[in-house]
Amino acid sequence: MDPGFLPQMPPALGQPALFGVLLLAGLLGGEVVRRMLGLPRITGYVLGGVLLGPQVSGFLAPGVLGEARVLIDLSLGLIVFELGHRLDAQWLRRNRWLFVAAIAESLFCFAAVFASLLAFGFQPLLAATAAAIGTATSPAVVLLVAHELRAAGQVTERMLLFTAVNCVFAYVALTLLLPFLHLEHEMSWREAVLHPLYILGGSALVGFVASLALLWLAAWVGKREDRQFILLIALVVLAVGAARSLNLSVVVTLITLGMLARNFDYEHVLLPLRFGYGGQLFFVILFVLTGASLEFNALPAVGGAVAAFIVARFLGKGLALLAFGRLSGVRPASAAQLSLALLPMSGLAVVMVLDTQAMYPAFGGELAAVVLSAVAVLEILGPIATQFALRRAGEADPAAGSA
Amino acid sequence: MTGAADEMHFTPSAALSFGVELELQLVQAHDLDLARDAGELLARLEKVPLAGAVKPEITESMIELNTSVHARYPALAAELEATRDAVVKEAGMLNLRVCGGGTHPFHSWTERRIFPTERFRHILERYGYLAKQFTVFGQHIHIGCPNGDDAVYLVHMMTRYVPHFIALSAASPFYQGEDTQFQSSRLTAVNAFPLAGHMPFVKDWAEFVEYFERMRAFGVVESMKDFYWDIRPKPEYGTIEIRVCDTPLNVGRAAQLAAYAQALAKWLLEERPREPRRAVYLVNAFNRFEAARFGLRGQLIDPFEETRRPLAEDILQALAGVMPQASALDGAEALAALAADVRRTYSDADWLRERYAANKSLAHTVRESAACWAGDKPRASG
Repeated sequence: MDPGFLPQMPPALGQPALFGVLLLAGLLGGEVVRRMLGLPRITGYVLGGVLLGPQVSGFLAPGVLGEARVLIDLSLGLIVFELGHRLDAQWLRRNRWLFVAAIAESLFCFAAVFASLLAFGFQPLLAATAAAIGTATSPAVVLLVAHELRAAGQVTERMLLFTAVNCVFAYVALTLLLPFLHLEHEMSWREAVLHPLYILGGSALVGFVASLALLWLAAWVGKREDRQFILLIALVVLAVGAARSLNLSVVVTLITLGMLARNFDYEHVLLPLRFGYGGQLFFVILFVLTGASLEFNALPAVGGAVAAFIVARFLGKGLALLAFGRLSGVRPASAAQLSLALLPMSGLAVVMVLDTQAMYPAFGGELAAVVLSAVAVLEILGPIATQFALRRAGEADPAAGSA
Repeated sequence: MTGAADEMHFTPSAALSFGVELELQLVQAHDLDLARDAGELLARLEKVPLAGAVKPEITESMIELNTSVHARYPALAAELEATRDAVVKEAGMLNLRVCGGGTHPFHSWTERRIFPTERFRHILERYGYLAKQFTVFGQHIHIGCPNGDDAVYLVHMMTRYVPHFIALSAASPFYQGEDTQFQSSRLTAVNAFPLAGHMPFVKDWAEFVEYFERMRAFGVVESMKDFYWDIRPKPEYGTIEIRVCDTPLNVGRAAQLAAYAQALAKWLLEERPREPRRAVYLVNAFNRFEAARFGLRGQLIDPFEETRRPLAEDILQALAGVMPQASALDGAEALAALAADVRRTYSDADWLRERYAANKSLAHTVRESAACWAGDKPRASG
């Protein structure tokens, strides 16, 4: 007997169940890691993902990141929106050296990673691409660690600001490298020049339009936290959707939306941003999915290059911060803590690698392995470093548990 | 014992010299909640040459701005503005905003952290949650006295005017996210301390020292700092310290209040218009409540005349009465500014409520309050 109403065995796991499994894995991983090892919860979210992933249990098939790309884009979109919203143009105007320090942080880091990859014999163009990706600090890690430690203070504020700046820098650099990659692939000059212009200009335009809509609607809705929350989510999701269907960059679009929503809010219609528990869901999803797609297999083969990548990246950031930290108004100790706090790499880098690979298969193989292995290492070590730095800076709330 | 004798030795100071202390709020630019960067800001300010001093206060969200000792209102006002500008500039480098006002409108006291110095740790240990709830911001006015007996006289006589200072400075209508209906909700937080209140009715400095020694022998206090009185003598500086004012929303008002206290002191010390009366302390709690709750719209019982009248009327009369003294001290302009606000029944608390009614967000009210402090935005007329 085979009643038609029964599902096929084994039942297929639909999207809702997948969503639930991801959250549960993150929650359990986070708690276990925090209680048993005293490590940040984020590390546990990632390990939860690793356990579900193809390399361990195989519960999540390879390429799950591709299938769950909508979830990733939504999570990343929300996170970089929040980050952009923390980027205060007034602060940069008041404290010019801070702006110099932020640009130097990106430039030095890019240069150091680029040089180290050249030393390992990678082709300059591809090395530059990898260096651009490596410049970005993980927005999700720094925001989540700051949230969970209820951190507040100069190191925290600057960590978020520098992360916003280095993410923009990474995207702009990556996009500007496109023409050269295009030319390698023997495309026309026109296409080579227009494509980056389209991506940067288009993303900025969508972000701009969305920010105007957000501010206009917020003024109309009024200062009610519940309604503004729905409005924010709606516009963030809309902007993510628009960026995806127009082949634009979700990250550039949303960071623009966040920045403009803050800095164009002359009438002060927006309430301070609080994503609360709802926002946490997206963080967990992002980390578990990133964990599931981490690549450890290549690590032994490219270990030397990965180590050089990580060390150069850290030294580049640290050097810039030590050089310009004092001028921008922090003590040397804070500058050192800041360079440690900016260490994390995460889902953003994975997405950048995947996107670049999709367009240029040449950016694959060994170099992608180097970057992805560095992400794998920093995905585990990064949150620990950030948490350590914020605690050391005395900016974490002693009453708050591990992040 | 010698330590005690030293502490209670009244160091004479120039009569009617004056200075102010302002406790200020540090807020974060992004959500306008209290910040925790007092340490970083103070480290920066150490490198800036200032006439006065800027010091840590009980929590990491607060700094205290002290002026040097002055003889005249214009110089005090000018120094306050210069210090204000320096503090605002350095705070801006750290993306902090500085605010006046007696309370932060919406902070949650559970999130406050106590500034890590020995004395403040002791306060936290002793007073528990009161210490954190005590995240309120006041202005203290010091008036110099040539000797302890004059100081005792001045404390008793000034007490009658305590409601004036409360109503004129009131700037804390909001507390923990709510409109308290008070013009100054800060005073209520001060009242919770066991040693709040007023100086006992002693007749001279010798009797005061005797009282202090007894309290210390009981183990109730260790030093003068333990008394959280509305007005207390400060023998170390040779001053009396008026402690009932909320920190105003801008330095202009802070200087005006000090000028009023100075003019009153000149009149009281030089003319000795009356002898101290116990009755002052009988009506003190009532008068104080009226002023904190209703501000300029409150009532006042005059313990000398034994009449009850509108507080605003009483203030206007007193301001007019000491105008000659104020003129002699170059402070007439300050008293005129105070009188103008009394006439239209308008205080910083009213301004804060007005801004909140207009922008419907306490966070944005704090933002405007910071602009008002920085001098970017004059406190609009009602």
